[in-house]
Amino acid sequence: MGTLESLVEAVTNGEDEEAEALASQAMADKMDPLKVVDGLTEAIREVGDRFERMEVFLPELMLAAKAMQRALEPVTPYLEERKIEREHKGTVVIGTVEGDIHEIGKSIVALLLEVNGYAVHDMGPDVNALDFIKKAQEVEADVIGASALMTTTMPGQQEIVELLKDMGLRERFIVMVGGTPVTDAWAEEIGADSWAESAMQAVTVLDKVMALRRGDASATL
Amino acid sequence: MPAPPYKMWEILERARTGPFCEDEAFTMERFMPKMQEVISKYGIKYDPATPIPSENKLADAVWQAGLEFFLAVGVLSVDTHRILTFDEGELREALYLIPGEYLVGLGKDARVLKRRQVEDAEPPFVIFSPDISCDEELFLPMCVAYLREPLADGFCAPILEESMGLKIKAKSPTELAGSMEHVMSLREAAKLVGRPGVFLVAAGTAESDVGQISISNSQWGVRTSDSRLVGGLTELKIDNALLNKVAHYQQFGCFTGSLTGPIYGGYAGRAEGTAVLQVAYHLMGLMVHQAHYQMNFPFHIHHTSGTTRELLWVSSASHQAVARNSKIISVSNGFLNAGPATEMVLYEAAAHALASTVSGANLWEAAPARNKHKNRATPMEARMAAEVGHACSHMNLSREEANALLLKILARYEDRIADAPLGSEFQECYEVRTSLPSQEYRELYQRVREELADLGLEFPY
Repeated sequence: MGTLESLVEAVTNGEDEEAEALASQAMADKMDPLKVVDGLTEAIREVGDRFERMEVFLPELMLAAKAMQRALEPVTPYLEERKIEREHKGTVVIGTVEGDIHEIGKSIVALLLEVNGYAVHDMGPDVNALDFIKKAQEVEADVIGASALMTTTMPGQQEIVELLKDMGLRERFIVMVGGTPVTDAWAEEIGADSWAESAMQAVTVLDKVMALRRGDASATL
Repeated sequence: MPAPPYKMWEILERARTGPFCEDEAFTMERFMPKMQEVISKYGIKYDPATPIPSENKLADAVWQAGLEFFLAVGVLSVDTHRILTFDEGELREALYLIPGEYLVGLGKDARVLKRRQVEDAEPPFVIFSPDISCDEELFLPMCVAYLREPLADGFCAPILEESMGLKIKAKSPTELAGSMEHVMSLREAAKLVGRPGVFLVAAGTAESDVGQISISNSQWGVRTSDSRLVGGLTELKIDNALLNKVAHYQQFGCFTGSLTGPIYGGYAGRAEGTAVLQVAYHLMGLMVHQAHYQMNFPFHIHHTSGTTRELLWVSSASHQAVARNSKIISVSNGFLNAGPATEMVLYEAAAHALASTVSGANLWEAAPARNKHKNRATPMEARMAAEVGHACSHMNLSREEANALLLKILARYEDRIADAPLGSEFQECYEVRTSLPSQEYRELYQRVREELADLGLEFPY
């Protein structure tokens, strides 16, 4: 088995120290850093797909993501040296709305977005509507992702959309909503841009929304 | 025997003085590795052929693993980034001091809520609860419909989304208004049906600590003979707002239930880890929430339900573990995939009740349509669960017998879980004016009941 195959296997199995060592070895062997990153990205996407199919569970997904981060550490300087940027699909500010302390669903979405090429700023649970917007402005985000797990906290998602309108920023950010009680009908009612029923679906939907925003004529929701 | 609180202030203070730990490290370095370690050490293995396992050895292994896991991992306060830890001596002292039963409710409506044994011949205590939100105008008719159910030992009302036409937002004045409307209408419904002292768990509309504290009032609100719930954060975490509820409920004097739902497919991993975590949650409920009973709803990360084969095993194994090794009062909450007025939802209610009752749990039934859709719950789903729970204890079923029956029930719905029918909303299968089920739903219910009887379930009447 070659170094890249071993590296992919280490990431898939969530072996972070092994992954970092193999990535260092790959760089020492003068392997193309872009090829390494592509291999790692493909591997982590496959783990994400297997999580969606429940062939692996959240601990395995988290360990694989951690192994990928460790593997990228020795590769990143070589990318920078060659002025190559990793795939960057967009920047997302994500959190659970004010008054809501649930966050596992939001955290899984954040993790899957991150391993699928988005820069993610996770604000955690119980986030005030204005704080979402301020953070999105600060990091020049493309997307605000707001999760709500209780029917009585869903108005927090509406508040974000209304504040954006009042601040004249509605067109500046894509607003994506999710959470157990949240439906497409609710997303439409409050004027959100997109809604996803599951974590993997969130990635797919956001890819399409971003493509539409970029003016990709072939993209449809 | 004294009841909780057990060392309440000493334990709550640990949220300020315990060892420092950040969120990610708690889960990645403490929770996940220890879970793998105890599953392997105690040889816990899920067997899909026995969603109701019958080996005492397995139940005791799940208990031991849960206890060791809880003591090693502790509970993280996400506000203070401190871990509340416990030593085995004090945990065993708290377990020893559990009375095992309480008289709940008031006057003629008071009932005994007690711990059950595995394969217990005593029927379960059944709390009826739709577990979903409803339109404001349906709140009172729904409460009346549930409270008139003869097998309901207690009741938890649906959640309001609006109060006086205003959208309720947690942690805002509308939450206080909605919480007050919730509990006042609930008490009114209880009085209307002639059960003014019935055991009430209230109020789901009050999500925040402030909302709960605002409705403690023996004249018009939650009484000391009633109960409220304290939840947890995923997984094994709490915050100050939850601890505020803990302290307030004890000082007000009502019964506290610990509300926890470990996620199958989440940080605990597969069925084995979810069962071990459920035991750990019972111990967290006892030590941190100072709870008089443990209400638990392990659920599937994708389906948000508890009636898949794996989740029925989780419920059965963890309740057996608790029932065989402690006097903790456990209440099992059904999360069903299908919606009201479908055959599938009634099969699911039956399956959940059977697996829970024979394993030593009381019942909290039920959340149809994956606990997601407004107005999609009726008393009929809870009635089916209650009837099956009573039948199970009436027959004094062994775990082997219950498993054989459960496999037959599972065969009737298991392949439809991913695409479960949404069914009807309350007002579509109940007459709102009378709070009674439609003829069509009554006939459907009777057909399923007869089918369950043909499978071998002997209803007591």
